[in-house]
Amino acid sequence: MIEGLALALGAALAVLCVVLVARPFLREPQTPNDRLREPSPAERQRVSLEEERDRALAALKELEFDHRTGKVSDADYREALGPLRRRAADALSRLDGMMRAQMSTPPEEPRVPEPWPPPDEGDLPDPGPTPAPGEPAPGPDLPGPPQHPPMPQTGGPQTL
Amino acid sequence: MALFGRAALIVALGLLVYAAVAGAVAAIRGRRRLAESARNALVGALGATAVASVVLLGALAAKDFTFTYVAEHTSRELPLGYTLAAFWSGQEGSLLLWLLILLGLGVSAVLLNGRLTRDVLPWVVPILAGVATFFAVLLVFIATPFATQAAPLDGLGLNPSLQNPYMLAHPPLLYLGYVGLTIPFAFAMAALASRRTDERWIVATRRWTLAAWAFLGIAILVGAKWAYEEVGWGGWYAWDPVENAALMPWLVATAYLHSVMVQEKKDMLRVWNAILVAGAFGLSLFGTFLTRSGILSSIHSFTQSSIGPWFLGFITLVIAASTALILWRLPLLRSRTRLESLVSREAAFLYNNLFLVAFALTILWGVLYPIISEAVRGVTVTVGAPYYEFFAIAFGLPIVLLMGLGPLIAWRRASLKALGTSVLWPAAAALVTGAVLLSLGAGSSPAGLIGYTFAAFVLAAIVHEFARGTRARRATGSATWPRAFTSLVGRNRRRYGGYVVHAAIVLLLIGAIGIGGFSSSREASLEPGESVTVAGYTLTFLGSEQRRAANAQELRARLAVERGGKQLGTISPGKNRYFAEEQTSNEVAIRSDPLRGEDLFVIADQFKGRTVFLQVIVNPLVNLIWLAGLVFLAGSLVTLWPDAREQQRLARRFAERDGALVRA
Repeated sequence: MIEGLALALGAALAVLCVVLVARPFLREPQTPNDRLREPSPAERQRVSLEEERDRALAALKELEFDHRTGKVSDADYREALGPLRRRAADALSRLDGMMRAQMSTPPEEPRVPEPWPPPDEGDLPDPGPTPAPGEPAPGPDLPGPPQHPPMPQTGGPQTL
Repeated sequence: MALFGRAALIVALGLLVYAAVAGAVAAIRGRRRLAESARNALVGALGATAVASVVLLGALAAKDFTFTYVAEHTSRELPLGYTLAAFWSGQEGSLLLWLLILLGLGVSAVLLNGRLTRDVLPWVVPILAGVATFFAVLLVFIATPFATQAAPLDGLGLNPSLQNPYMLAHPPLLYLGYVGLTIPFAFAMAALASRRTDERWIVATRRWTLAAWAFLGIAILVGAKWAYEEVGWGGWYAWDPVENAALMPWLVATAYLHSVMVQEKKDMLRVWNAILVAGAFGLSLFGTFLTRSGILSSIHSFTQSSIGPWFLGFITLVIAASTALILWRLPLLRSRTRLESLVSREAAFLYNNLFLVAFALTILWGVLYPIISEAVRGVTVTVGAPYYEFFAIAFGLPIVLLMGLGPLIAWRRASLKALGTSVLWPAAAALVTGAVLLSLGAGSSPAGLIGYTFAAFVLAAIVHEFARGTRARRATGSATWPRAFTSLVGRNRRRYGGYVVHAAIVLLLIGAIGIGGFSSSREASLEPGESVTVAGYTLTFLGSEQRRAANAQELRARLAVERGGKQLGTISPGKNRYFAEEQTSNEVAIRSDPLRGEDLFVIADQFKGRTVFLQVIVNPLVNLIWLAGLVFLAGSLVTLWPDAREQQRLARRFAERDGALVRA
């Protein structure tokens, strides 16, 4: 009796798990886009530039704080400030240039052709505000936070 | 219900094999639905493993001796707390706990990092599933906790050494640490496999790594407290292979937590960090292997089993696969920046990394040498405490010195003049401390004296850092000193939480030197009315007494304690005779003095007629080791506490990327 119950429970657990595993295929039996999103070379470059930007800005902040706490002398501070500012400004301007170039090129074939999640699973994400092309780039000696216009979205992000 | 438990484990194994294979195919061929299906299989495996765990816990709670595991690790008279803790007292239950924690942490990491590392996740799932499959295979085919038998009248009981409150917490904490290191490993390897070697996997796993490292650290200290009270030789760390097995991944993870900051700030040490993450995970597997295989004689190893070769095979596979992957992706890992100066924060981190890893490797050699010697030469050798203590001093003292120097040095480069100004006050404090200690006679242990001097330097450097930082924050507009202080810590929790952890390590060092270099010990055989004096404590034997506890007969020697003419009460060391287990354990008596930080530690070695044979030890400053655990926990919590500003910054950053992704 107990053995039968255990077997039935085990079978029920297995069925539940099979349904869970098969769910993506049951939910979308046929889909024109079954590809995982592959980051483009441009996006890889963007990631690299954003990391460089954040690193340079953080280094400037760190230098400032170390100077205030006396770990860095006035002379060392002055010597280090210029190259760090140039690095930050360079990363900011390259990032800005890249974003401008992307915005001026209309997307001919979006990488994500269908909305995600599917319409029957929920509303599409808010596409966000319209971009403001032509916004001035930060000055070369501006270590403050970058001001990038938000990018337009043709669909919600694809999630795993 | 054993059949249900076994069925649940088989279902979990099937799901994990599917998640590993389908996940790998999905990642290689870029199949979205298949990747989602593999992720769901991982979630399902967690559910099935949780069901199996509930079945085992139910059997333990009901003391269902038809379960062989329950009969071998509990008895009718075993208190409920220890009965439930038997879940991780035996090999099969421990492996089930490993799998449950691995899947719990793995699924949480996958679900919580969906946005941050979405193009890495298709690789994370099969890697996590691959590791989990190994444990599921062991549980289904080699060491199942659901084997059944005809129920005996009573169980064999739980090893008396494990019947200690600290043993309730130590194994789960240890496993949270060991298993937690799987998360950064899986993400790092997935980042390499997917060629996404940018910072995101580091950001995604930062808290997971810190949490695993903190759990491992706390587990080591809880285990030390257990050994101090239960094993009862008067020490807290014996360089036992199983103790070392937990220390090695902790040291390597400590090195990683420092060097990853260099990668984040300077984009350096990418290869090194990948090696450290893989090394910490490999060592955590090695630790589980040492504990569970019974290959080495250890006070912590309660099992002789056949899972050793399986573990060795899996560890070899992990090392080979991660080495191959790192070599394959080497071009992606090349740093674009170089060390600017040998006197800089990043250089200090590099030096501390070298010492930490060198220390871990010497410990590893000490653990492996007896195994290799027996396998190759057929000679059984033991690597004793002097070997480890030599390297603990040789590598430990520079690490402590760097703990003080590192925070005082600026990133990028520091002029010697600025460094001299920063170091002046901490160095002065250290020298004064050293001179005072020398005049008080601490020169009897030169290593101890140097250790205390360095400890004073680190503590002074930490105080100096907090003071300078608070002053700078106050100068930038904080209204009050307390507000400036909280703002300082709140804006850089990792740094200042790290300093609190440094303070914990210094406390531990002070306690360890106290017990290692300055303890007093004496053996004595006493008849009622006789006394023995050790380090100012006088103990008078009042007589023996017996009493019956729930599952043991207790024999105790009552001793009156007096110090400086003041009666301090009585203590009762003795022995327990456990009925079901048919074993005897030493039950030491410890009288702690919180103000002096010292312990009076008494072992009743033997009772013969009216005579008791005692070992009396006075351990100065030992309580600072346990205090260090609390401070370590506090520091870890500061570093782990979510930073709303950083979360917002990251959200902004990745929101930008999402827009770009769709557009690109």
